[in-house]
Amino acid sequence: MWKGARAGTVVMVTALIPIVLGCSKEADPDRAPGSQETDSPTIYTVNYPLRYFAERMAPAGVRVVFPVSEGMDPAFWKPSAGAVRAYQAASLILLNGAGYARWTRYSTLPQARMVVTADGCRDGYLRTEQSVRHQHGPEGAHAHAELAFTTWLDLRLAACQASRIRDALIERVPNAKDSISAGFESLERDLLDLDERLQIVGNALGDQPLLGSHPVYPYLANAYGLSIQSLHLEPDQELSDDDWKTIDAILKQDRAKWMLWEAPPLEATEAGLLERGVTPIVFDPAGQTPSKGDFLSVMQANADRLECAAGVKLCP
Amino acid sequence: MKDSLYLAWRYLRHHRAKTLLLVLSLSVFLGLPLVMRAMSRATQQSLLARAEATPLLLGKKGSSLDLVVEALYFQLKGAEPITEADVDAIHATGLALGIPIRTGLMARGFPLVGTSLDYFPFRRLRIAEGRGLAMIGDCILGAEAAKTLELGPGDTLLTSPSTLFDLAGVYPLKLQVVGVLEPTYGPDDKAVFVDVKTAWVAEGLGHGHQDLALAGPDVVLKRNEGTVTANAKLVQYNEITESNVDSFHFHGDPSGYPVSAAIVVPHDEKAGVLLRGRFVDAPTRQLVRPSQVVDSLNKQIFRFERVLQIVVWTVGLATAVMFVLVMVLSWRLRAEELRTMTRLGCSRWKAAQIMGSEIALMVGASVLIAGLFGIVMAQYGETWLQNLILRGS
Repeated sequence: MWKGARAGTVVMVTALIPIVLGCSKEADPDRAPGSQETDSPTIYTVNYPLRYFAERMAPAGVRVVFPVSEGMDPAFWKPSAGAVRAYQAASLILLNGAGYARWTRYSTLPQARMVVTADGCRDGYLRTEQSVRHQHGPEGAHAHAELAFTTWLDLRLAACQASRIRDALIERVPNAKDSISAGFESLERDLLDLDERLQIVGNALGDQPLLGSHPVYPYLANAYGLSIQSLHLEPDQELSDDDWKTIDAILKQDRAKWMLWEAPPLEATEAGLLERGVTPIVFDPAGQTPSKGDFLSVMQANADRLECAAGVKLCP
Repeated sequence: MKDSLYLAWRYLRHHRAKTLLLVLSLSVFLGLPLVMRAMSRATQQSLLARAEATPLLLGKKGSSLDLVVEALYFQLKGAEPITEADVDAIHATGLALGIPIRTGLMARGFPLVGTSLDYFPFRRLRIAEGRGLAMIGDCILGAEAAKTLELGPGDTLLTSPSTLFDLAGVYPLKLQVVGVLEPTYGPDDKAVFVDVKTAWVAEGLGHGHQDLALAGPDVVLKRNEGTVTANAKLVQYNEITESNVDSFHFHGDPSGYPVSAAIVVPHDEKAGVLLRGRFVDAPTRQLVRPSQVVDSLNKQIFRFERVLQIVVWTVGLATAVMFVLVMVLSWRLRAEELRTMTRLGCSRWKAAQIMGSEIALMVGASVLIAGLFGIVMAQYGETWLQNLILRGS
C-alpha cells in the first residue's frame, strides 16, 4: 500500500511539471517546399534568348537552365509537375513578359524569385492582328495570345530585357557586379549593333509590304518600320488551296515581294511563292535553342538576309 | 505510520460514496485554477507565437482583429478584401515580400486557403507526403485535415459550394491532393492550401470550358467575326487536369481579383518602418502588426481570467468549508468507534494519525486527479479554447 502511495506521488509530480513549464510545440525550422537552395545559384529561363542573355552575363558558378527540349515551341510548352518543381527550386526565374509561356499562368511559381524581363521596358505590349486556333508540332492545338510576345525581335527591347537580367544577377551575386556589368556592356553593344543594321534595312525597305508566315514579327515590324502582314503558315507543312487563295488575295491588295519565314519552307512552298513573285526570307525568331550557332549568330544571319533583300548589302 | 495509513485506506474504501464525493469536490477546487491558468497561458502563448512570427499584415481598413483572425487563423470572419494589385504593390516597393492569403471557401469542413508558394517557407511548413503545389487545381492538406478526411496524395477533394441553394452559383471544384504537410500543432494543420489562382477558380472568377472554336452549332449562340457566343450548354470543367488546364482563364485583369489579406515580410527592420509609414494615412488600407493586435486580445483574456479566478476562489472556499464540516461531523459520528479503539489500547496520537492519514489520502487523490485533468486540458484544451475565443469574438 505504501509503495502505491509513493508511486502516486511520483506520477503526480511528473504530471504537474509540464503544466508548470507549459507545453510548447513548434515546427522544426527547416527547409520548406520549393525553397531548396543549392550551393550555386541556378537560373531558369522560359525561352532561349533569355538563356543566352543570362549566360553572357552570369558569373562563374551560376548555372543557367532552359529545360524545353528541342522541337518544342517554348511559348506553348506544357511542363510536367516535375519540371515546374525544378523552376520552383531555382534561385532566379526569368520570364519574358507579354504573356509568353502560357504555362506560367497556371503554374505555381515563387513570385519573389521571378523577374518579368520585358515588363516596364515599353509603354505597352503590341497585339497580334488576329487569334486563330491551329495545330503544329507535338504540343498540340493552340491559339496565339492576343499579345504579341516575341519582344526580343526589337533589339532595343532585347537590350532592356538584358538590363533587367543584369540587375537581378547583381542583386543575387553582388560580389560579381563588375563581371556582370562587363558582360552586359558587351551584350548590349552586340544587340545595338544589330539594331542599327535593322534600322538601316527598315529605312531602305520603306513602305514596301512584306508577308510574315506567322504572327511572330510585330515587334520587328514596329521597331524597324516594316509593313508586315501575318498569316498562319508552318514552314514544315504543305500549304493548302485555301492558304494559297489567302496569299493570292493578299498579294492582289499589297504587292509584297518578300515573305518572312521562321525556318526554310518546303521546296513546293518556295516554288509556289517564287511563281507569284514572292521571295521567301528566313528570319528565325530564335525562341528555341538553335541547332547551329547562338542567338547572336542567328540574328546576324537574319540581318544578313534582310540586308541582302533590301539591297543594303551585296548578296553572297 | 504504515499501520495508520493502512487503517485509513480501509476506512475510506469502506465508505466509498462519501470518499468519492469528497475527493471529487476537492479535485474540482484544486483543478479549476490550475486548468484555467494552464489553458489561458497556453492559448496566449500559441496566439502570440503565430502573431509574432507574422511581421506585418495588409488588409482593408476596418477591424484589425477580424483581419488577423482571418489571415492568421483562417477563421471565416468575412473581412473586406483587398486586391492582388496591393500584393504586387508591396513587391514593387522592393522593401518586402508580399504573401497573399485568400480565405472564404471551405472544403469538406476545412478552410480553403489560397496563397503563394512563399507561404510554405515563411511558416516553415514541410511536406510529409507527396509534393508541393505545381499547377492550379493542386492542393496540399494540413496534417489534421488529411487525417480527418482520410485523404492523401492522389486523392481528390471537392470544395464546398458557397451557397447551398444557389443553383446558378459556382459549382464545387474538384481539387487534386498532391501533398500532406507535417503537423505543426497550429491552424495550418486544419487548412487546405491551394494556389491563390485556384482559389479564384473555385470562387468562379476563373474557369475552363470546351474550345469554342471547335464547338458545334448546338453550343454556339452567335458567331461574329472574332467573337463566339456560347449558350448554357457549353461544358464548363469542374476539375483541372493536365489535358484541360490550358483552357482555364480569367476574364478581366487578375490584379483586381480579391485577396483577404497579405502577409508582409520586410527585408529588414528599416524596410518595415518605411512601409508602416507609408500606410499611416492610407484611406482604404491598413498595415497592422499582428503581435500588437493579439497582445491586446490577450489582455482581454487576462482580465476575463482574473474575474473567473475570483469566482473560482469563492467556490473553492465554500468547498473547503464544506470539507471541514464533513470531516468534523464525520468525527463526531465516529466518537463511539474512537472510544472502542482507545479501549483496545490505541493512543490518542495514533487515532489522530489515522484521521490525518485519511485526510492526506483524500487530498493526495484529489491533487492527482486535478493534475491529470490539467495535463489533458493543457494538451487538448488549447485548441478548444482558441476556437471558443476566436469564434466568439
